[in-house]
Parts: sequence; structure tokens; C-alpha cells
Amino acid sequence: MMSLPFLLFACGLAAGWTSRREAAMGFWVAGVLVLLVLFRFHATDVLNLGL
Amino acid sequence: MTPDLSRLLNALGLVAVDTVLVLAFADQLWFRDLPCPICILQRAGFIAAGFGIALNLIFGPRPSHYGLAILGAVVGGIMSADQVLHYIVPGSGSYGNAIFGLHLYSWALIMFVAIVGGCGVMLLFDRQYESSGPPPLSQVTLPILAVALLALLAVGNVLSTLAICGVGLCPEAPGGYLIFHENLGLAQGTAP
Repeated sequence: MMSLPFLLFACGLAAGWTSRREAAMGFWVAGVLVLLVLFRFHATDVLNLGL
Repeated sequence: MTPDLSRLLNALGLVAVDTVLVLAFADQLWFRDLPCPICILQRAGFIAAGFGIALNLIFGPRPSHYGLAILGAVVGGIMSADQVLHYIVPGSGSYGNAIFGLHLYSWALIMFVAIVGGCGVMLLFDRQYESSGPPPLSQVTLPILAVALLALLAVGNVLSTLAICGVGLCPEAPGGYLIFHENLGLAQGTAP
């Protein structure tokens, strides 16, 4: 699960390398979305700050 | 700024991102400093930011590619800022080794801000978007190496993260390479 963003970015770079720009950007978007979801799962502690 | 200078600066920027990821691997493998889950996500943030720079090198500079780099750096920066805020109060602890007085998540935040700033400066120069003929081989060697290294580091992080976390979510404080422990039946509570 945690390796999924890296896998998507690697696929995107491979797509870019083979001149498929739209596919590369699609993989990037998918990778960032997965990254944000994983961050939501892991960032569960409340910050002890007075803002 | 000419397209050639833009290509060189993008290549140097991507080499800087690659260097950060290589140093993170060195810290993990050489000093046995296993990354926490948020640290792993910050590595992915660096690859997301480097991705936009890599597209600049593959397809030529475009504002949309700089946009990807900036958005990737913002996402990574949010994660490193979250971790910095966790430990910002004196006495609240830290995670991992400090390098030159700062922990890796603090360096990461500085780097993410630098990427945003660098892309912002690069976006100021419109002449880089003018089409030019194919560059000579001497000018594409560094970009090719930088993009290839980023791809290699992305694949390396797939393997490393699988080794540390297995196929699920990572433990909050990884104590070893989970996949090897599980395969060998050495995970906590299962060892004889």
C-alpha cells in the first residue's frame, strides 16, 4: 500500500520516457491522490500547539 | 533565458532532488536509520516534485510541468511541516538522526520551499518556451542521467517500502524490515 505512490510515479516516468505525456500526467495525479490519502491515514495525532 | 540554459538549470535542479533521495537511502542503509511512515511519504513528495522537472527535460519546459513540480513540493512540504510541528516544542522528542544540526524532516521542508521558489523564478522567463532544434548530445547527457536516476530511485523506493512496511500501512515506528521478519516468522510474538 505505502509503495503505491512510488509505483505510480515510476509508471509515469516510464510513460514520459516513451513520449506519452498525458499518460505520464495521469499517473502523477493518481500518485499524488494516493499520497494524500496515505497521509490522511498516518497523520492522526493532534498537534499540541496553540495557534 | 534560452531553452538550453533552461534545460541545464532543470537538469541541475533534478540532480539536487536525486541527491536528496540518494542521501535518504544512504541514511537508511548505511546508518540503519529506518524511515518513519511520514518520512516515506516525504520521499514520495520529492519524487512528485522531481516528476515535473523530469517532464521539462523530456518534453521541453512548459508552465504545466512547473505546476506539477510546485504542487508536488507543496504536498511534500505539508507533510514535512506536519512532522516539524510535532517536534517543534522543546522536549517533545525527535525522529531519526540530526544532520548538521537539523533533522531530515526539517531539511526536507527547506528543500520543498526551495523547489517552490526555484520553480517560481524559472516561470518568470518566457523565452525558454521558444522552440529550438534538437540539442546536441553533450547537452542531453546530464538530463537523461538525471531522469533515469529519478526513475531508478522511484523503483528503489517501491522495493524499500515493501521491505519495511510489507503490503499494508507502515508501523508508526518501524523496528526492522517487516517483510523479512514476516517471511522468516521473526515478527514480534511469533518468534519461538
